[in-house]
Amino acid sequence: MEYQIKLPVFEGPFDLLFHLIKKAEVDIWAISIADITEQYLTYLQSMKELNLNLASEFLVMAATLLRLKSKLLLPRPIRISEQDEDEELFEINTAEELFQRLKEYRLFKEAALGLETREKEQQKIYLRSTGGQKVMVFIRQESIYTIWEGANHLSDIMHRFAEATLTDAYTPAFSVVEDFVVAEKSAYIKSLLMLSNRPMSMNDFTTAGGIWEIIVIFIALLEMARQRTVILLQERLFGPILVQLKQEPLQKEEHNGERTTEENN
Amino acid sequence: MEKERQKKIIEALLFLSEEPVSADRIAAVISVSVEEADQFIRELQKDLSTARRGLQIFNVAGGYQMGTLPELAPFLEKAFSEDVSSNLSTAALEALAIIAYKQPVTRIEIESVRGVRSEHVLENLLKRKLIRVIGRKEGPGRPLLYSTTPDFLKYFGLMDLQELPPLDDAMGEDILE
Repeated sequence: MEYQIKLPVFEGPFDLLFHLIKKAEVDIWAISIADITEQYLTYLQSMKELNLNLASEFLVMAATLLRLKSKLLLPRPIRISEQDEDEELFEINTAEELFQRLKEYRLFKEAALGLETREKEQQKIYLRSTGGQKVMVFIRQESIYTIWEGANHLSDIMHRFAEATLTDAYTPAFSVVEDFVVAEKSAYIKSLLMLSNRPMSMNDFTTAGGIWEIIVIFIALLEMARQRTVILLQERLFGPILVQLKQEPLQKEEHNGERTTEENN
Repeated sequence: MEKERQKKIIEALLFLSEEPVSADRIAAVISVSVEEADQFIRELQKDLSTARRGLQIFNVAGGYQMGTLPELAPFLEKAFSEDVSSNLSTAALEALAIIAYKQPVTRIEIESVRGVRSEHVLENLLKRKLIRVIGRKEGPGRPLLYSTTPDFLKYFGLMDLQELPPLDDAMGEDILE
């Protein structure tokens, strides 16, 4: 998907390395880092000549290989604080590690081939499909399908919700609220609380203004509660939520605070 | 209820259902024990094959389902040409294999095995409902944990996850012959 050409398509640097090792007809453990690095770089070079876009992972692997090779050539006295400038994608520091990772990759690549075979077999079997519509007819007859359909729909909705929250397209409503606006409101809330010198009802802050202002204030309050600059109190169930500055000494005569809810994200 | 009628009911039920039906459910519908239901289904499977019918009943995802015979696929394709089944990409299969064997697993763990970023692949697999998010891993960042779905079993015609071939089986001693 991220990397497709007409020539052999490699799913990633491991795939390419694996292919090169296979071409060399040697065992993974027998291959020399120098050889494989050279072949790898030659391959990348030929791709460049073909004007093919290289996925960044291929380049990271090239760097990793070169580092492994240089290590072999110039044995370092001690491991001087191995700083990982590389992407976390490959945390490969020795040839041994590289081979281990290649072996693991190969294991799953073979498993993937197994799945592909199964997929092909299974796709030859056609199943009844009504697109979930005709089955609905049975609902009135109180058949077992009632429950199934219901459950399917519910899981469908949940799936879609999960998808929506996972895709980039989903942007929570709050994201339009710029951070500095929240910061501004936080400062405003704080100043009001300091002026009044006693806990204030959350409603005191959120009644005025348009919907966006209320949302920003609400987020600011939550954020402050999370940062523990304020404490949110509730004296009784469904009672008004009180906002109190954290630094302020608790005024016991007014709020016994037994239903204190401290927002900790 | 006599047995022939019960078998008819099972056949009709499996014919109608788009989803695998568990033996429990079948047993409950025709008021017999699960063992008996299993027995009836075995007989139905035999009946279908001895009568040389185009349908079969098979075990999948913890239940029974009726489907066509694999050898009829080319003709059915002709008949329902608009219904093109889109195969999974190599990338998707790789990611799916890793999830299937290592589940629950995080995206980073998948990417670390594959050596490539895999957000898009996972997104597609989620869309196809072959994988799902089952929670978050404790630890820094609390990354999402992925696992396979019942749809995964259905897609690959597996009864359960145990039916997957053991991973080290594929690992012959010499890799490249």
